[in-house]
This record gives sequence, structure tokens and C-alpha cells, in this order.
Amino acid sequence: MLRLALRTLRLRKGGFIGTFIAVFFGALIVASCGGLMETGIRGNAEPQRLAAAPILLTGDQTFELPKQDPASLDPDDKHKSESVRLPERVRLDSTLISRIRSVPGVSDVVGEVSFPLAAVGQPALGHAWDSAALTPYALTAGAAPAAGEVVVESASGLKPGDSVEIAARGKTENFRVSGVAGAPRSISRAAVFFDAADAARLSGHPGKSDVIGVFTKPGADIEAVRESVAKAAAGATVLSGIDRGVAEFPEADSSGANLIVIAAVSGGLSVMVAMFVVASTLSLSTQQRSRELALMRAIGTTPRQLRRMVLGEALGVGLLATALAAVLGPFLGEWLFGQLVENGVVPPVLRFYQGWLPAVVGAGAAMLAVFIAAFVAGRRAGKIRPTEALAEAAVTRRWLTPMRVVLAALCFGGGTALAIVTVAVMTGPIAASTAGPAVILWALGVAMITPGVAKVMTSILQWPMRLVGGIDGRLAVLNTRAGIVRAAGAVTPIMLAVGIATANIYLQTTQQELADQAFTEDVRADAVIGSAAGGLSPDLVQRIQQVPGVAGASEFVTGNVFIEAPYDSSDDGRPAVGLTASGAGAITDTKVTQGALTALTGATVALPEVFAKDFGRGIGDTLSLKLGDGTAAEVKVVAVISQRPGFESLLLPAGLLAPHTTAGLAQQLLVRAAPDVDVATLTDRLREATAGQPVSIGDRDALVAAHAADQAVGAWVNYLMVGMIIAYTVISVANTLVMATVRRRREFGLQRLTGSTRAQVLRMAGFEGGLVAVIGIVLGTVVSAGAIVPFCLVATDSLLPMGSPLIYLAIIGIAAALALVATLIPAWAATRGPAVDAATSGSD
Amino acid sequence: MNTGWNGDAAVRLDGVRKEYGKGVIALDGVTLAFPRGGFTAVMGPSGSGKSTFLHCAAGLDRPTSGSVMLDGQELAGMSETKLTKLRRDRVGFIFQAFNLLPALTVEQNVTLPQQLAGAKPDRRVVEEILGRVGLSGRRKHLPGELSGGQAQRVAIARALVTRPAVVFADEPTGALDTRTAAEVLGLLRDSVRAGGQTVIMVTHDPMAASYADRVVFLADGRIADELHAPTADVVADRMIHLGAWGSPARAGA
Repeated sequence: MLRLALRTLRLRKGGFIGTFIAVFFGALIVASCGGLMETGIRGNAEPQRLAAAPILLTGDQTFELPKQDPASLDPDDKHKSESVRLPERVRLDSTLISRIRSVPGVSDVVGEVSFPLAAVGQPALGHAWDSAALTPYALTAGAAPAAGEVVVESASGLKPGDSVEIAARGKTENFRVSGVAGAPRSISRAAVFFDAADAARLSGHPGKSDVIGVFTKPGADIEAVRESVAKAAAGATVLSGIDRGVAEFPEADSSGANLIVIAAVSGGLSVMVAMFVVASTLSLSTQQRSRELALMRAIGTTPRQLRRMVLGEALGVGLLATALAAVLGPFLGEWLFGQLVENGVVPPVLRFYQGWLPAVVGAGAAMLAVFIAAFVAGRRAGKIRPTEALAEAAVTRRWLTPMRVVLAALCFGGGTALAIVTVAVMTGPIAASTAGPAVILWALGVAMITPGVAKVMTSILQWPMRLVGGIDGRLAVLNTRAGIVRAAGAVTPIMLAVGIATANIYLQTTQQELADQAFTEDVRADAVIGSAAGGLSPDLVQRIQQVPGVAGASEFVTGNVFIEAPYDSSDDGRPAVGLTASGAGAITDTKVTQGALTALTGATVALPEVFAKDFGRGIGDTLSLKLGDGTAAEVKVVAVISQRPGFESLLLPAGLLAPHTTAGLAQQLLVRAAPDVDVATLTDRLREATAGQPVSIGDRDALVAAHAADQAVGAWVNYLMVGMIIAYTVISVANTLVMATVRRRREFGLQRLTGSTRAQVLRMAGFEGGLVAVIGIVLGTVVSAGAIVPFCLVATDSLLPMGSPLIYLAIIGIAAALALVATLIPAWAATRGPAVDAATSGSD
Repeated sequence: MNTGWNGDAAVRLDGVRKEYGKGVIALDGVTLAFPRGGFTAVMGPSGSGKSTFLHCAAGLDRPTSGSVMLDGQELAGMSETKLTKLRRDRVGFIFQAFNLLPALTVEQNVTLPQQLAGAKPDRRVVEEILGRVGLSGRRKHLPGELSGGQAQRVAIARALVTRPAVVFADEPTGALDTRTAAEVLGLLRDSVRAGGQTVIMVTHDPMAASYADRVVFLADGRIADELHAPTADVVADRMIHLGAWGSPARAGA
């Protein structure tokens, strides 16, 4: 059977090109996602500035979050826990340095601190001069820095003896350049070296190191030393080899996790769409040669043999297409990675990997999709009745098999259940989490019954079609109705593209709009002071509050904290905002239901109502928090606030939150003007008051823009995914329609012989394409509504999502244009030449 | 009407009835036997049930009631796979058109039933048979490169190569011109005589029927008449008698 399958493939390449294209692009996307996945899992970045030390120590960026409330469990029970990443940098105690020095095989240990600064307006990282050995930087001129002195890189253009203005920690100071140094490799971020005391002061955390570098004695076994060091430095993360990059670029680790999610979601979605598309091209090509298959049945091919033949053909084509995709996948993967880097989703230091394992897994997933699709097509082929070989025209068989009915019922049931759960149980933007599975369920369900739905819709649309199209429109309706299974093959991908694109894009725009609204409705700032380097000086807020015309000013720090007691299972922690108690009331509109924000000093918190209720805590009660860098804090509830559902944040004193962020300082300061002062006046006065300080003054829009920029990364990833899915379905729609139309050469020829002009045939084909497009668009819209409407009911109290209607118009415009072009071009080609030739040519 | 009834029939139908959906009766209790080594033509006007008769007799379709014995085996109750295997081993088919798989060469088409059965085709037998149908030189040709008559001769070769108990032919010359049709029918008759094979041919062409030993006439799903050693003129005469031409078509064609 395999031989026959291969032989059929060789001769009838044309019939299988559709399947080949569908598998190829599906497998290509999956293969490229494989590379992103591997890159994400490895999360490797090549160390640059810390490359000289073979072993690096960092603080442990994770902690164990119990999966269940430890208090509710029997103490004898084993506690399951999950490892959760801390969002802010965890630093090491510098006393560790001397302890590691005594580990056998260690020759030298160097502590390292990095802090952002601006030297002559240029951003750079500041370090202590002794950590230059970690690169190693070597002096090319001058000498090591003493107090008040710096060593700069040769690229800065400065010379020993020059004076340089450096802004760090919200202050500007003058330093003398004592020397110029160069590194043996290119370092992505410029470095400025200080003497140890200056570095400790400017870093804001004396006695702590970001990283500790360990040098080994010549000939020492690095792995053995690493293990000894790990024993001596319990609680620290000890890295060697390529893993060291994470110590220098902690962002590589978290963006690696993002990459895994992106790759898994797009890869999974692609496999699913590929399965649909391949199933529809296969069933189309099976249907187009049903007479041939019926003949084989008549002369002694068992249903099983026919199933195996269809499976063999499909797997043969699939194998070729997957092999080609496996070769080209890495290029697409690398291009995608480049796009992600360019758009700031992942840092450029992350090293791209594309090994054989993801390629194999990707190819396996693609082949599995082909197998499932071919299995379904094979079942259909096995059911072909041998008597069909004797019939002049192939009979359109019953398409509604019990399996389709059951699957459709399951999918619609699941979709409805998700909708009910969403509306009944969920609040706020979290409701979006059911939308993804809902789209897939609705799409799958509709795909199962597409021929029936398409038939009903064709009947409904026949009146407008006749009205607009006259005889050509009528013929188009009749043709579509007669070949409803063929038409359904083209409707399904259009439905998928419209459904997935509409749902995903509008979910994104709605969530973004909601987040913007939630952010802007609470913040009442007229001006924003931002930092030029490293953060704002903690004493700035008092000085700004004294400026005439300022009604109130508050630091504005954002971060995530984990609630440890009472037990909270959220593994992302809870969003927290740090504010200055004296100005908090002026710059926010947050409704305080109990207590007062002015009490927000020391170790205190203002708790959102929902949390207060859920955790059973009220004014005067205490909460145990774990701050962003893992530091524990006991805070007393001093206020209960009411916030938009789904966008709740804990409010903490900025003085409590800021020191436990990576930067250690507030990055923004919000200012509210007194009632009689306009924004321009306020801005001028603030500018005067902060003259000479490394700050920037912006208006409210600057704050909103900064917030939107944070969100844009997530949006971009979503659009990339939708883009890939759309591109793929575009290919499939074109593919299916071209396949279906090319095969109708003879029919078109006959029609011309019976009196149609070529233009009439083309018009008819155009109407058919239009009909397919309209049905696909309507079904796709229904599918996306199945996901969007429940979400919108919960999140926006309306049936419609937020976002420009132009997006929807663009989506359906593309779908319609595509269906028309993919029908008309092959129809135009099929009607070239004399009609007699086409009409008398074989039906194949 | 127990025509041709004897103990050693290749195919025997007993009270075969076939209804389609809404009470349309295509076969209405047909009892008929086909002796081994005979060439029988089944004739009838459109809607007489001759196609349904062929489907039921060859095990391509199942009768609503009644029994069909093919080469001594009862078809009723056989699974689809068993039926298929019986067709593969014991039955040859020649259809009006679209007899050959376009992807396979003449030789591969001829040996396909054997290959499907997992048997190695006997090259000598294949060559002999292709020689008999006059296509020795076209073994490697694809069906697309053959004329209509040649394609039908390949179909005959394929039907005969497994030495089946019965060969069913459904309007085998319906798509051919008179001269080519005569060639193909002569070939079919000669192979029956040479190989002692049983042929059952459904046709509406009196000229084609005249090549058979016996003609059975169907009308309204029943056996209406029978002729031995027919000539084209007598057959045509009987058909006119049966109202074959000019009567409105009914179901079951």
C-alpha cells in the first residue's frame, strides 16, 4: 500500500501541493517556536564584564511558595511548594567574601556592585575599581581612583585630569578622572569605576554585593571548587560556565521565562491550526478523487487498505514538508528572535539557541498533526462505497458523522461552560484567561458542523445573491450548495483566521484600554518628575512639597510583593504602589473607605477592600509581606481602599517599598498643582526648584505614556502571534480555494460551451468566492464573540470590546479580498484557452 | 421463473429484493442463476433495476432481503472486509469508464488486485494476458496515454488475471464507438470460451447483448424475459416490446 501511495504521490504532485504547503508552513512556525523555546529554557546570556571570573555568586532569586495554606495542613503532611521568582535583585552580604576566600582552590574573591549613573549625560554603570579584575579592565593611562576620582573607559573620550560631572542616586557630583581603562572584549554597557568607599556610598547599599566573583588557583577543577564554594555559601546561587551570564544580566532569566510562554502558546496554536488546515486539504483531495478510491474499493481494496493508503500519502507529503520546514525553521526562529529583541521583549544579550531537540519535537508535533488529520481523512476514504465507481457523478456523501456530532456537542458545551464560569465567577481583567480556550472550543465546534451551517447560510444568502448577481449569482449559489463539503473546506480556515484574529486583538485592546483607564482614573498628577540616572533622591519629595503652587507631591514606586500571612497562593505576588504619606491624598483619587492614607508611614499598608475581605484583615491588623527582594516585612493595616475590580494594588509607604527594589529609589515623583496654578506655571516652578538635579519634568501625558510603554511589550507579543496565525491561515485559504478551483476546469469549459461567456464564468466564480468569504466571516465573528462577549460582560459591563472598529473591518476586508483573489486567479487561469479543450479534458 | 437453475451456478440470486429509502423498489424478488462458463447479458430499460442487480450480485451493495450465493458462498452477513476480499479473489470487474488508476501503468493496473491481496503477480500470466488483449507493447504506458478501446482492454486483462469465478461488466462498451466496441466484446467472448470463465454483463445495447449466450431482460425490478443464442435484431425487438425506449425513466437505474 505504501508503494502505491508513493507512486500516486509522484504522479499526482498537483493534488498534494495543497497539503504540502499546509504542512510546510505549519511545521515551519512550530520549528521556529522550538528555537525560541530552547532559547527561553536555557535563558543563557554570554557574560561580558564578569567573564574573567570562572565562578560567580548571586543572591537566590527564588523562594518556595507553599501550594496550600501551611496553617490548614496537618503538620505531618508533606508541604508541596513551588519555586517563585523574586522580581527585584537579591544582594549578597559582603562578609561572604572572606568566608569564600578560605575555600580550597580559591585564589581570589572580588565583590561587585553595579549602579546606574549618568556621566556627562551618558548612561553608564558604576562599579568599584577592585571589581575591574572581573573583566579584566586594564589601565591604559593614569592610575587607579582614589576618593573623589574615577577611571573611565577610553571610549568616553576623557583624559586623566579631566573633571567629570556624574549623576547617581538623584544627585550630581564632580569627579576627577584619575585613569582610563580598556576591556579585552566589547562590553554592552559603559562602565565608570570609583574607589571602594565612593562606590559603596553611590550604590546605596554599602556592605552588600550584587555579585561575588571567584578566581580559582591555576590547575584547580572549577566544578569541584564550585561545589565547595556552594557549601561554604549556603543560600547563594553559585554559577559557572555559560550560566554566569545570568549574574550579569538578571533580565535574561525572566525574559527567558517569557520566551517559553510565547513559544509554547504560538507553537501550540500553530499545531492546532495546522491540524485543521491539513485535515481540510486532505479531505478536499480525497473527495476530489473519490471515484478513483471507489474503483479501488470495487476491485478489491479493503477499507483498511484504503485508510492506510491515504495515511501513507499524507505522511509521505508531511515528511517531505516537515523535513524542509526543519531546515528552514531555524532561520525563521532567529528572525523572530531578532524581532523580539528589537521590540524590547527580550534583551539583546540573550543567546539564541536552536538545537536538534526542539527541531525534533517540532517536527514530531507537526507530524502528529498530519497523522491525526490523515487519520480523519482516511476514515472518510474507508467509508467510500464501491458502487460510487459506477455512478457517473460522484455522490456527495453524508458528512455529519456521529463523531462530528459528539465533538461539536462537547466543544459547544465546553464553550458555554467557560462563558458561564466567566460571567458568574470572574471579575476584572482576569476574565480574559478563559477567552483563549473559549476561542479554540468555539472554532473547533463550528468546524465540526461547517458544511451544515454553510448550507443553511447559503440558503439564506441566496436571495441577496440572486438580487445582486442575477444568473451568475444563482449559479454560484447552486454550485456552492451542490459542493457544500468543498465550500466548507475553504470556509473553515477563513472562520479560523477571522475568529482567532478578532478575539485576540480585541481582547488585547480591551485589556489595554481597561488598564489605562484604571491607571489614569486613580492618578491625579499634573506633573511628573522622572529620574535621569538611578532614581530620585529621597529628600527631593520634601523640597518639592515646599515649592509654591504645589498642592501635594508624592514619590511613586511600583513593584510586586508577596503576602505570606495570611496565606496567599498568587505566585506572581500582588502589585504594590509606594507613596509618600503626606502627598498620597493629593495625587491619587483612590477611595478610602476606612482609615487614612496620611497614616501610611513606617511599616504600614493600605489594603484594597477585596483583599481585606478575602484575608479577613481590617484596620489595626498586621500582614506579613515578602518584599520584591525577598525581605520580610510586618505591616499594619492603616487604611482600606476601594479600587477598580481586577486592578487592585496594595499601597505602601514609598520608604518601605523603594529600598527593596533593584534601583533602591523611587523613579518617579507625582506632583499636584494647587487649584489656582496652571500646569505650565507648575512645570516652570518645578524646573526652577530642581535646577542642577539629574531629573526630567513631564506632564501627566508623560506618565500615561510611560505606563502604556510597559504594556506595549505584551501587546506586541500578542500581535506577533496573531500575525503568524493569520499569515498561516491566509496561506491555507488561498491553498484550499486554488485547489478547489483548478479542479473545475472541465466544469467551467462545459459551462462556456452551453453559452456562458468567460466573463460570466469569472463573475460566477467571484460570487462563489464572495459567498465563501461571507460565510467564513460570519462564522468567525460568531466564534470570536463566544470568547469576547463573556469577557466584556465581566470587564466592561458591555457586549462590545474596546478598540477601533477599523481593526475588525481590516480583518474581514483581508479575509474577503483573499477569498476573492484566491478564487478568481485560478478561475481566470482555468478558463484560458478554448472551452472545448477544457470541457473534453479528463475530470482530473 | 427459475431460468438456468442447476446445481453448479457461479452466481445464484434467490428472492433478492432491494428498496431505496422512500419505498422505491429497485429489485422485486429476483431469483436467477448463472451457470459456470456462461456469458449472460442482463438487459432492461432505464430504471429496470439492472445496475442494482449488478451491485447486489457482485457484492458491491447489500440486498434488502433475499440471498446471493457467489462461487458457493453466501454474501448476506459478510463483513465489508470479507466482501472486499471475496471480490478481490473471486470477482473481476469491467466498468463503462474510469476503470484504471491514472497513477499506475498498464501492468501495475492489471496486477493491482493481486498486489492488494499481498500476492506476488505471476509475470508470465500477466504477459500472456496482456498478449491476449493485444497490449504487450504498452506495459509501461499510463492510462492517460491509451485510447478508450485500449483502456477497456486493460480493464478486461485486469478482470481476468486472477482467474475469477465471475467477471461482471457494466456497460463495458458504453463509451466506445461501434467498431472498437465490437473488438472489445469479441475479446470478452473469446476469453470466456478459452478460459471457461463466467461473465455477467449489464447493457442496454442489443448489439453488445448479441455477443452473449443468453440474455435476461429486467423490467420494473423483475425478470421479464429470457433469450438463448440471441441476435441483435431479436434483442432489439424484445426491448421495444418491453417498452424500453420511450417509456419514462424510473428509479434504480
